[in-house]
Amino acid sequence: MDLRKLKKLIDLVEESGISELELTEGEEKVRISRQLQASAANIQYISAPSPAPAAPTSAPAAAEAAPQVIAKVDGHEVKSPMVGTFYRSPSPDAKSFVDVGSTVAVGDTLCIIEAMKLLNEIEADKAGVIKAILVENGQPVEYGEPLFIIG
Amino acid sequence: MLNLHPMSHPLTFPILRLLADGRFHSGEEIAQHFSVTRTTVWSAIQAAEKLGVEIFSVRGKGYKLPRPVQLLDEQAIMQAIGTERAWFHVQLHDSLPSTNSFLMQVAHPNLAHAAPHATCVVTQLQTAGKGRRGRDWRSALGASLTFSLLWRFQCGAAALSGLSLAIGVGLIRALHSLGLPQARLKWPNDVLIWQGDFPAKLAGILIELQGDMDGPSAAVIGVGMNMHLPDSVKQQIDQPVCDLYQWLGADMDANVVLGSLLKHLSEVLRVFEQQGFVALREEWLQYHAFHQQSVRLLMPDGREQLAQVTGVGEDGILLVNTAQGEQRLAAGEISMRGVA
Repeated sequence: MDLRKLKKLIDLVEESGISELELTEGEEKVRISRQLQASAANIQYISAPSPAPAAPTSAPAAAEAAPQVIAKVDGHEVKSPMVGTFYRSPSPDAKSFVDVGSTVAVGDTLCIIEAMKLLNEIEADKAGVIKAILVENGQPVEYGEPLFIIG
Repeated sequence: MLNLHPMSHPLTFPILRLLADGRFHSGEEIAQHFSVTRTTVWSAIQAAEKLGVEIFSVRGKGYKLPRPVQLLDEQAIMQAIGTERAWFHVQLHDSLPSTNSFLMQVAHPNLAHAAPHATCVVTQLQTAGKGRRGRDWRSALGASLTFSLLWRFQCGAAALSGLSLAIGVGLIRALHSLGLPQARLKWPNDVLIWQGDFPAKLAGILIELQGDMDGPSAAVIGVGMNMHLPDSVKQQIDQPVCDLYQWLGADMDANVVLGSLLKHLSEVLRVFEQQGFVALREEWLQYHAFHQQSVRLLMPDGREQLAQVTGVGEDGILLVNTAQGEQRLAAGEISMRGVA
């Protein structure tokens, strides 16, 4: 996971007021937890079930020590039905289908997943507000990978 | 009677059927034929022009298409499908913005009377055809064959990996049976013909899916095949193209071409349903235009890399050798541009 993305995630946690966000992307797992009093977010890198040596722990080493409040991101996860490339707009120049904060109704298109000229328009299966977009435009996604959180 | 909506003049296509012979027909003759006024004929012609149909209008002689055009006919299509015809529901429309968009709408599972399995939507004139990532598909009356086929699967979208390539196999089988053994495939499924050292595109496929992760799912398989492209359309397309007319000449019959495509597509789809792409993989490789060749790959994030194409996987993934070693690609495009 690149730094830009991590920063985005941290900002997201900051803005949303949630106390903890945990994400799995392929082999990597990231947990961002926010101490209720302090404003700085703690980041923890956890390597997936792989037997690899402990993944680098970035930033505040105090992470383990800090009292963590475990909380799930409130909302409904929209998952990818297939392996492919994630696109947020119908064409490179077009506006994104949705942004964080957009209100969606059941059936609204959220994104396109493309695999080998097989296009799958992913529709919202629940009405609400887009709380998080978990994948960047043009990135590969796995089967079952969470794409959006609708709250 | 003046109909101001250009898309819906009821006489536009009846008049175009009359003009399809490529000869002059006077306004008076047409007006008499349909028992309407010449003004009505004129407004129907205007509507045709708004749809992008080129019509010559010469004072004293009448109206004429630039050249004879073969329009599709539902009976002839059914006839050409052969014994498989009972499977299909063919819907012929005079004009549609996009056969894929239309079929996606009428196939939607929330509809009380959603289009049935094996519905084929075909149009004489597609006015806003779609390619991938918002690219358009150029067309003109009689210039290309544009249709979409609905196929419903019990499985979910994830199991449809390789469908795109399977469809390519169906198209090639049909083209071979029509007398075009030189038709080849570019991964994942463009149909092309080598013209000297350059591959020229003959047909393209775009598949849209709907349905849940666990199934059932539905695929709307859109095919655009170049039939007889006017030079004006060829010049608007940003890559080398060819058309069936170039190879088959006057023998080309659009109804027979569509019938043959539907027959071969349904055969390939049944194999795919039961055994997956793995059963069609060897055949796909026989038709592969770039087998073991060096190509330039355009990646979805904009990067480019040189690679040697070594084959395709059982799930349809492209296998290449690059400077970084062997890679499996699910995304990206093969480009010949810039490869010596």
